[in-house]
Amino acid sequence: MSRKMLIDGEGGHPADEEQYDFDLFVIGAGSGGVRASRTSAGYGAKVAICELPFHPISSEVIGGVGGTCVIRGCVPKKILVYGASFRGEFEDAKNFGWELNDEVGFNWKKLLHNKTQEIVRLNGIYKRLLTNAGVTMLEGEGKVVDPHVVEVTQPDGSKKQYKARHILIATGSRAQRVNIPGKELAITSDEALSLEELPKHVVILGGGYIAVEFASIWRGMGATVDLFYRKELPLRGFDGEMRAVVARNLEGRGIRLHPGTNLSELTKTEEGIRVLTDKGDALTADVVLFATGRSPNTKRLNLEAVGVETDRAGAIKVDEYSRTNVPSIWAVGDVTNRMNLTPVALMEGTCFSKTVFGGQPTKPDYGHIPCAVFSIPPLSVVGLSEEEAVEQGKNDVLVFTSTFTPMKNTISGRQEKTIMKLVVDSETDKVLGASMCGPDAPEIMQGIAVALKCGATKAQLDSTVGIHPSAAEEFVTMRSLTRRVTAGGKPKTNL
Amino acid sequence: MATTLGGSPTRLSFSSSSVLHTLSHKIPFPVVLLQRPFSSPASSVSRAIRLPNSRLSGDPGLRRSFFVRSGLQSGPEETASQTYDFDLFTIGAGSGGVRASRFAANYGASVAVCELPFSTISSETAGGVGGTCVLRGCVPKKLLVYSSKYSHDFDESRGFGWNHEAEPKHDWSTLMANKNAELQRLTGIYKNILKNANVKLIEGRGKIVDPHTIDVDGKIYSARHILIAVGGRPFILDIPGKEYAIDSDIALDLPSKPEKIAIVGGGYIAVEFAGIFNGLKSDVHMFIRQQKVLRGFDEEVRDFVTEQMSLRGIEFHSEETPQAILKSVDGTLSLKTNKGTFDGFSHVMFATGRRPNTKNLGLEEVGVKLSKNGAIVVDEYSQTSVDSIWAIGDVTDRVNLTPVALMEGGAFAKTVFNSEPTKPDYRAVPSAVFSQPPMGQVGLTEEQATEEYGDIDVFTANFRPLKATLSGLPDRVFMKIIACANTNRVLGVHMCGDDAPEIVQGVAIAVKAGLTKADFDATIGIHPTAAEEFVTMRSPTRKIRKPSSPLDEDKTSSDVKSAAKV
Repeated sequence: MSRKMLIDGEGGHPADEEQYDFDLFVIGAGSGGVRASRTSAGYGAKVAICELPFHPISSEVIGGVGGTCVIRGCVPKKILVYGASFRGEFEDAKNFGWELNDEVGFNWKKLLHNKTQEIVRLNGIYKRLLTNAGVTMLEGEGKVVDPHVVEVTQPDGSKKQYKARHILIATGSRAQRVNIPGKELAITSDEALSLEELPKHVVILGGGYIAVEFASIWRGMGATVDLFYRKELPLRGFDGEMRAVVARNLEGRGIRLHPGTNLSELTKTEEGIRVLTDKGDALTADVVLFATGRSPNTKRLNLEAVGVETDRAGAIKVDEYSRTNVPSIWAVGDVTNRMNLTPVALMEGTCFSKTVFGGQPTKPDYGHIPCAVFSIPPLSVVGLSEEEAVEQGKNDVLVFTSTFTPMKNTISGRQEKTIMKLVVDSETDKVLGASMCGPDAPEIMQGIAVALKCGATKAQLDSTVGIHPSAAEEFVTMRSLTRRVTAGGKPKTNL
Repeated sequence: MATTLGGSPTRLSFSSSSVLHTLSHKIPFPVVLLQRPFSSPASSVSRAIRLPNSRLSGDPGLRRSFFVRSGLQSGPEETASQTYDFDLFTIGAGSGGVRASRFAANYGASVAVCELPFSTISSETAGGVGGTCVLRGCVPKKLLVYSSKYSHDFDESRGFGWNHEAEPKHDWSTLMANKNAELQRLTGIYKNILKNANVKLIEGRGKIVDPHTIDVDGKIYSARHILIAVGGRPFILDIPGKEYAIDSDIALDLPSKPEKIAIVGGGYIAVEFAGIFNGLKSDVHMFIRQQKVLRGFDEEVRDFVTEQMSLRGIEFHSEETPQAILKSVDGTLSLKTNKGTFDGFSHVMFATGRRPNTKNLGLEEVGVKLSKNGAIVVDEYSQTSVDSIWAIGDVTDRVNLTPVALMEGGAFAKTVFNSEPTKPDYRAVPSAVFSQPPMGQVGLTEEQATEEYGDIDVFTANFRPLKATLSGLPDRVFMKIIACANTNRVLGVHMCGDDAPEIVQGVAIAVKAGLTKADFDATIGIHPTAAEEFVTMRSPTRKIRKPSSPLDEDKTSSDVKSAAKV
């Protein structure tokens, strides 16, 4: 092999005689796996990747090139959010002079069909990306047999083994159900993205971003939605003030919130699924969605046998370079349960390739990673929440907030405010965090994230001229301090 | 002393500072011309500000010791104190005037501002608190853009499973009524802002009598400083039949929607109104003298937006110079150009530029210098050739944008009333065009960057957004980053596509802060958004190097956008 491998599977130099089928064998062709394969091949490595057969709903033996993001996550979710957002748009259009029927028809099957078509198209594009990069694609379930051997069980049941200098595990994660009686009656986000019929009444369990997004989706499509979660507010981990705004907006759009409530039992009845809560209330829904977390796909990889360590949640333990405790085996993306976002898996995949095949050991940088919740309206954040800033900061924290009626709502009459927030270090003037809940928040936050990543100060934001009239200009015109929180002091929001 | 306005009832219902958000500011304009006006830091110190007279008198209660000084001036050169009615008299209560008045008052000055009576259509005798931005520009324009964009939303919604039994109809009068109610509300809020800042509002037409005296409809006021912030007004070409034409003031407040409209002009106003009327299903024809719309903007973006607008049904007539408007017996209008005559228009709109409102202000008489096009000539601190007279905003025809007028107003107040000589900073001023699809940009165009820097790397993306893959519409998005090849600094960012103005604002912070392309690349994307493209443009589309001509390098497949770029 002529390439210079900077990091070798074994401690020492492997004998050149040793024959590998591939320099890299990747298990799982989702965001992280495809990126790592492609970039590794770009460095000259000989790469193979295996992935389960395609289907919108995943299982132990079903997956598809593209992975969660393309087939069962970001992309189909966003498509449904687009679809659901139109209801609000139609309502808003009236005061702008448009004459619309009160009930605009909605054909779920058509949306589902178009969505699936798009997913299939993207699946094809991903395959082409791999092919064009010279990556060998194998269909089937991959298992690690030893530190340099992957066994692929093909769809026809036959098995084949491949020797590889490095193995990368990028098998992602899957939705998880809570263990209550009747749990088999509930669906997860996989099925929710591909329901045959549009539900009339949905019960959602969970307070994370998936729960909130599906609540918005179904409500927008006209269903009655009951959202149950254990905490006082949804979206644990986000800025407290923002969580409260999201909850208020969900309610404003007609979603029934049940904070501090869990589900205790599901039973099938004539009318649908009877849902019993831990408060003793009962209601009947045609669909119950568990959005109760995801767990890493590590069960059938045979990791124990080769000695790859996993944590209690089943996530593969890796070092800062995404290397497992077995030197020739690496892992990126949700299967490592670090920060479960597509762009983060992409970053980890790239860093892996650079480290192993590019001669540049590179750690993924987890600072200032922006993210979005595609509720309607959406939430987007980058950096620290107010609570985190107060907790972590040595200095006082300056909080700037702005709550305003977006211009569109001045005419539409929609009673929904946009809120923005900047959290600033009082000594260094550095902006520690930014968040926004309101239309276009995810699009707006991306540029803010560039600035924050590079340590922008509040003064730099203030010196930027606004784009008028936009919502985003508010981020550069927040002149007056909302509050100052003393270092280590309690934030004023008591959430 | 005289008058306040005959106050219309003002519903004061804003909950936070961000009312100003919906109010303040103004119209986008290509901001391309003026980068890096200040070269040496020394220059900011070395130039003295000429001071009119003495220390402020003003309201005894507000009296503080104000020195308007400049860097090198030693000691107050003020002469014997003189009493004025006001420390500052501002003519014109638009974005710049209100901002300057408010800030000056906050610094303790006694301030009056005069403004013409309210009307949606401006004239020598009509204006209104709020100015162009609130009454005849940014705000009503954007409201109409919102309204007109719904037809595109309806089209999009079909691919997402929605069906409208009949094509939704638009009622123009509902829109006008709701828009005007909103403008009334906003002008009320503006008045309250002035009132709360202790600025005296005087209704009427202000005219300068001498360097310290203003005449408002016969009432005389004296002031230590006079600030002119009277803005600009649409300019109508002087051709036969021009009386049949409408301008943007009128277009924003028409009694009925045009059936078929000719829009003359290729600037941002023309392009925005074309989008508005096209969205509301008028038959729209644009007549532009040049080959392309939006002179001064990035060439590639100009082509892109033209193509997108054409796909939405706007008809372009390029390189046509209008010569006359004719009215036929059936009441329709014809536009005669150098190439032919086009018939059947219900309306002909001129979007052929704006001119500073400097007529009949008494400027020539007191010796305030004007440029050829009538703009007030000011120095870097917005001071005119007469020491006690200052001017900001569109009337100075620098960069005619609301946020720039705000910046100039803020800098003026600091300079004159807070002893902090401050020059407005025109570097990396972002702007937007609310065309459909809209545009956002900051910094240099590719053409400017090539000229100034020679060696640049250009990163572009031209893709079908996720929404369009479902809607089936031919919508696309174009994005561009221009980086200096030597320093890696991002010199300009341009975008045309949904949400471009919102997206570019954050990017503008980064550009203003002088960040590099590597800094963009180090930022993680927000998936799935259009904006994430700005942080995932890995390889240059072309590298432009001084001696040789641009060579096209790697044209990457662009259709993959709706998935993460794995």
